[in-house]
Amino acid sequence: MNKKLVIPGQFLSSDVKNAGSGTYIDDGKVYSLLYGILNDKKRINVLPFSGKYIPSRNDLVIGTVIVVTPSNWIFELGSAYDGLLHVSEFPRRIESAQMKGVMSVGDSAIIRIKDVNPAMKVEITMRERGLRVIKDGRVIEIMPTKVPRLIGHSGSMISMLKKETNCEIFVGQNGRVWINGKDNDMDRLGEAIDMISRNSNASGLTDMIFKFLRNESDVEDDVDTNTVSEDVEDIQTDDVEEVSEDTSRKVDMLLDPEDE
Amino acid sequence: MSKPEKFFDDKGLRLDGRRIDEIRPMKIEVGVLSRADGSCYLEWGNNKVLAGVFGPRELHPRRMQRPDTAIVRYRYNMAAFSVEDRIRPGPNRRSTEISKVSREAFEPVVLTHLYPSAVIDVFTEVLQADAGTRTAAINAATIALADAGIPMKGLVSACAVGKVDGKLVLDLGKDEDNYGDADLPVAMTQDGDVTLIQMDGNLTQDEFKEAMELVKVGCKQILEIQREALKGKFDQFDTEEIEEETVAEAPKSEVEIDETVEVETEVVETEEEEVVETEEKVEEEVVADDENDEEPDENTDDEDVEEGETNE
Amino acid sequence: MSEVMSKLKKDYVYNLMLKGQREDGRAFDEMRDITVETNVIDKAEGSAKVQYGDTQVLVGVKLQLGTPFPDSPDVGVIITSLELNPIASPTFEAGPPRENAIEMARVTDRGIRESGAIDLTKLCITEGEKVWMIFIDVHVLNDGGNILDAASLGAIAALMTAKVPAERNGVGEDFMMPVRQMPVGISVVDIGGELIVDPGRNEEVVCDTKITITSNQDGSICAMQKSGEGALSEEQVLKAVTLACEKAAKVRENYLLKI
Repeated sequence: MNKKLVIPGQFLSSDVKNAGSGTYIDDGKVYSLLYGILNDKKRINVLPFSGKYIPSRNDLVIGTVIVVTPSNWIFELGSAYDGLLHVSEFPRRIESAQMKGVMSVGDSAIIRIKDVNPAMKVEITMRERGLRVIKDGRVIEIMPTKVPRLIGHSGSMISMLKKETNCEIFVGQNGRVWINGKDNDMDRLGEAIDMISRNSNASGLTDMIFKFLRNESDVEDDVDTNTVSEDVEDIQTDDVEEVSEDTSRKVDMLLDPEDE
Repeated sequence: MSKPEKFFDDKGLRLDGRRIDEIRPMKIEVGVLSRADGSCYLEWGNNKVLAGVFGPRELHPRRMQRPDTAIVRYRYNMAAFSVEDRIRPGPNRRSTEISKVSREAFEPVVLTHLYPSAVIDVFTEVLQADAGTRTAAINAATIALADAGIPMKGLVSACAVGKVDGKLVLDLGKDEDNYGDADLPVAMTQDGDVTLIQMDGNLTQDEFKEAMELVKVGCKQILEIQREALKGKFDQFDTEEIEEETVAEAPKSEVEIDETVEVETEVVETEEEEVVETEEKVEEEVVADDENDEEPDENTDDEDVEEGETNE
Repeated sequence: MSEVMSKLKKDYVYNLMLKGQREDGRAFDEMRDITVETNVIDKAEGSAKVQYGDTQVLVGVKLQLGTPFPDSPDVGVIITSLELNPIASPTFEAGPPRENAIEMARVTDRGIRESGAIDLTKLCITEGEKVWMIFIDVHVLNDGGNILDAASLGAIAALMTAKVPAERNGVGEDFMMPVRQMPVGISVVDIGGELIVDPGRNEEVVCDTKITITSNQDGSICAMQKSGEGALSEEQVLKAVTLACEKAAKVRENYLLKI
């Protein structure tokens, strides 16, 4: 396994055919464009340590409404580019006068990037099951570059987190993570996510987090746990589970790339 | 301060004891500002500069936006107390000019076309000025850009060369700058392409050629220091120890659990241990396999990372 | 550039406080970790870098010879400036100081001036003609909330380390800045009737009413400023004063008396 820190302009390889993301080719050689980790298992990719989210078609993200017009909601996405949700992309018919009643400035929602044009005009949709306005729970922000780590291979990290904390979790591609559950469970989960984000380069991370959550829960009152799961079940909707099936397929696609 | 009688001692060493081709000591810290997307604190001789990068972010006013590319904004600013005689805060003609040429020093390496209509803001603050603040600021800014995850073809390194008492010297000190005969600040890419060059004073063409050779030496040294600084930020890279420790300590938690629930817990615990083991196996791969969707130079796949929730 | 904080975040911070808790786990009357480093800028006559949690400010004191104001011909002059540099926050913009920066500069200034922290008569060289002008410049480096308290502490710390450069200016021997008071400003915000000291950035956004009280060693008050849209009850103001003076005494003891 090759896990090497690289910096912009660093020579990576002469294998131009396999130059991947985060690299550039100059005079028959592959160099890094970014400050990050080299992954040259198959293609030569550099995964940056940090960086802003760039909207990309089909991404699921969490946005915050910053402007409401008579026919559009404009969402801030934690990116250089805001997203436009036209009223026709909302799941039900809304009159102009009702716009603010449905979502007003400061409201957050789970949305999908429907399209991004070359000038980076971002169109959003909510016409899909599972996409919705978020009314409860918390939104935690992590660096978008750490999203794959939070999900883990085949979703291993995320399923462990869910199991250990009894919380619902939705990870937006833009690094915004929605969590919902009992307050003290959310506190623990929040700490765990923070830990993942701070130690994203460490190996044995899932283990470390597992241990952290276990030790924490020993300290805390275990009696509550049953009540919690019931609470969470109540909040559950069919819609959410639908997203989840979709999810496991896609996360696997992402984390088990074509090279296997 | 007045002009020193001589700039070199009998051994040919400079006022501060440096050789003619020696730069002042440089110290770099990466990621020092929590609100910036990338940042760097740099000390070089008595210069103290701070650089912060924000973006790519939305550019206002909109009329400044360019539909095909991001713009870079660069601000060179001196703290009022950074120099002997207090200067009025805010931009002046000098800082405006330096900001412009410094911005242009980065434009050749930053991949701005990946972020249409956006802006990448580079702010540099000179907290204490010695000589060569613009080059110090550029050296800090390049680190801050890397730290912000901005794609660049390479780092930019900057250094000045000057003429003192008819001799060319690398990286002018304060007196050499004040009383020297020429000052030639240069910024270059790792390939030696010049992205900033200014000069004042007087040099013959031969001296200029020699000066360029000298400044290349300086920039190379600085590039090395910059690389080391970036590599040093994540020195906790391989954390085998944590892994071992975790495995060793994990079962202990059982001990602390109340007897009444022990049976139940043990079942859970065994289950969990299995999980841990499997995860250990995949763990190594995760790091290698993690794909990032945010691929600036190649956006072929549209896969999603998303997570909904199921409850057990 | 204004920042839209999501309602979820606002509600989270707000509700937490209603329950008596804070985002970073502090008690309501607990300050963040403070560090004070003095003499960090050789070019300044006095300087201090102050951190309140994530907040970082650098204060430099410079002295120059100048003419006194006609109405006070025998005392030195204090000029305080504060700039919210764009490097300190994604919401700060380059340009001349706006009302927030000016307000903070003036509150910092009042704390130093009204406390009589500096014996300005000792800064007169020739009455009516030549006095020392003290420039206190607050350079804000990173905004993690409550810049004002950090600026106030930085200002007095920088003054305490300042040396008057008389020799360089040909007016006698260098001497230490005649500091005789150590004013410390403490900001308190209101949340559902409760008072919280040293607000972090999110707390500042959520709580729209703040009161800053600057007090001296003897517990007397030398400057005060209510800032923000809301109102405070008389009882709250009184409570805030007690709280601020108490905290100021601790900060003074831990950070200023050691300089």
